[in-house]
Amino acid sequence: MSTAIKIREINKSYGNLQALDDINLDIQKGEFFGLLGPNGAGKSTLIGILGGLVHKDSGEVTVLGNDIITDYRKTKKSLGIVPQEITFDPYFTVRETLEIHSGYFGIKDNGDKIDELLQALSLDDKAEIGPRQLSGGMRRRLLIAKALVHDPEIIVLDEPTAGVDVELRNSLWEYVIQLNQQGKTIILTTHYLEEAEALCDRIAIMNKGKIVKVDSKENLINSIDKKVISVKFADPVKGLEEEFLEIDFELSDDQRQIKIESAKKNLNKILRKINDLNLDIIDMDIESAKLEDVFIKLTNLGDDDN
Amino acid sequence: MTINTITFFSLVKREVARFSKVAIQTIFAPLISTGLYLIIFSYSFQNREVAGYGIPYINFIVPGLIMMSLIQNSFANTSSSLIGAKYNGIIIDFLLAPFSHIELTLGFMIGGMVRGMLVGSVTYLVATFFYGGAVAHPFLAVFFAILVSSIFSLFGIIAGLWAEKFDHVSIFSNFFITPLTFLSGVFYSVKGLPGIWSEVSLFNPVFYMVDAVRYSFVGQSDIAPAFSALIISSLVVVLLVIVTYLFKIGYKVKS
Repeated sequence: MSTAIKIREINKSYGNLQALDDINLDIQKGEFFGLLGPNGAGKSTLIGILGGLVHKDSGEVTVLGNDIITDYRKTKKSLGIVPQEITFDPYFTVRETLEIHSGYFGIKDNGDKIDELLQALSLDDKAEIGPRQLSGGMRRRLLIAKALVHDPEIIVLDEPTAGVDVELRNSLWEYVIQLNQQGKTIILTTHYLEEAEALCDRIAIMNKGKIVKVDSKENLINSIDKKVISVKFADPVKGLEEEFLEIDFELSDDQRQIKIESAKKNLNKILRKINDLNLDIIDMDIESAKLEDVFIKLTNLGDDDN
Repeated sequence: MTINTITFFSLVKREVARFSKVAIQTIFAPLISTGLYLIIFSYSFQNREVAGYGIPYINFIVPGLIMMSLIQNSFANTSSSLIGAKYNGIIIDFLLAPFSHIELTLGFMIGGMVRGMLVGSVTYLVATFFYGGAVAHPFLAVFFAILVSSIFSLFGIIAGLWAEKFDHVSIFSNFFITPLTFLSGVFYSVKGLPGIWSEVSLFNPVFYMVDAVRYSFVGQSDIAPAFSALIISSLVVVLLVIVTYLFKIGYKVKS
């Protein structure tokens, strides 16, 4: 697998604020890559540098082997960036907007690609109307269509589903997965960690301008030693405190359900204890750690000073 | 330095399409004010001649009025396009696309020139009803119109990039463009100004533009047209360099 994006020693500051602090990152071709972090972590600044919206103070970025400064024409044609803010040109219809955009990227007569995008993003019946008449979700779809109109190799989605209804979110992800399967590299930033968990192969977690961890989704999740066991009993349970002396557990108000958080090594012991209770179990579930747990741990979001 | 023709002409096309979509406001509305000037001056001063020129007053002011339309509309097009793009957030479209700095400069500039030249041409057509439509040096008139519209298109780009809100553009318009245009000899001959004022007018760059275009129309001018051409051409070059540099550094559009 060859490198789609190579980022080396990128620094960016705004006055005294170090927005990006010595960022190094490689994203491989064909990956579905997640860039996660709390607000102000530096994700959008990094994307801005990639797209030429933000000046970097130092460092080097290459896109498919081309430098973003000296070979900017090639790198910009390789990138399709969907920005976080919804923007639109009020003078032009949806189709005109996409035609103009095709032209910006040096493409003439791009009708087939425009039709494909309009259909994929369910905008075909809105093609001849102005963006003022579109709903927020439709404007977001137009933004995505604009970023894809030149058929870029690398697609960067900066919070693409913020404020978007569930139906659109699902259809959008279906389309993005399809593009990824066709070999496109996808870079996603999102606040919806379950989306990143469901979609991304590898994830970088950023905090305070630094990349604190980059790894495969599985490795990140496995780095958290946590299992959550939920058991539902047929009848209320009593006297659990005596049975579960060394185990922390939560009992529901109706006393029929317990939830136990434990390290993997104690799983066997806990299950045996539950079995020893000799109670009728009507349901049981064992959950692994989630990306959210990794995120909270690595970004210290649980700390008081955050 | 190469220019990607499809990329470049897409920007020009976008700029022209943008003002064409609101042609009533961008093309026809400016004609109302110019038409009113023509009506008022042609009837108020119909028997008056301009000192030193020996031509009717209406023949004297027509080139100036055409210049005024051209200047105001070239400036308005680029400045409003850029501040609008910043306001709507679509300025990032121009930054994310593979435009070179010179393509952005020339693309926006030509969009402004087309509108300026279009309004200037329609103003000329309207003016023909008032003075007959004679032009002494038509090719020279077009040549100067191209240069002047490019200057104010470029000036509009600077204003649009600098401005953070629509009010800021009107500062440029009200405090620079309008006074410099009205004091450039559109309505009077600078040669006839009393005392020091005729020399002060020589520091007004718009004076050279109006004077050169007047020469193209009536064959007479306050100063040598070659000198005006030199001043105007130099301004075009200086502004081209400044605007290209502003796009290069991403002045007020990149962080």
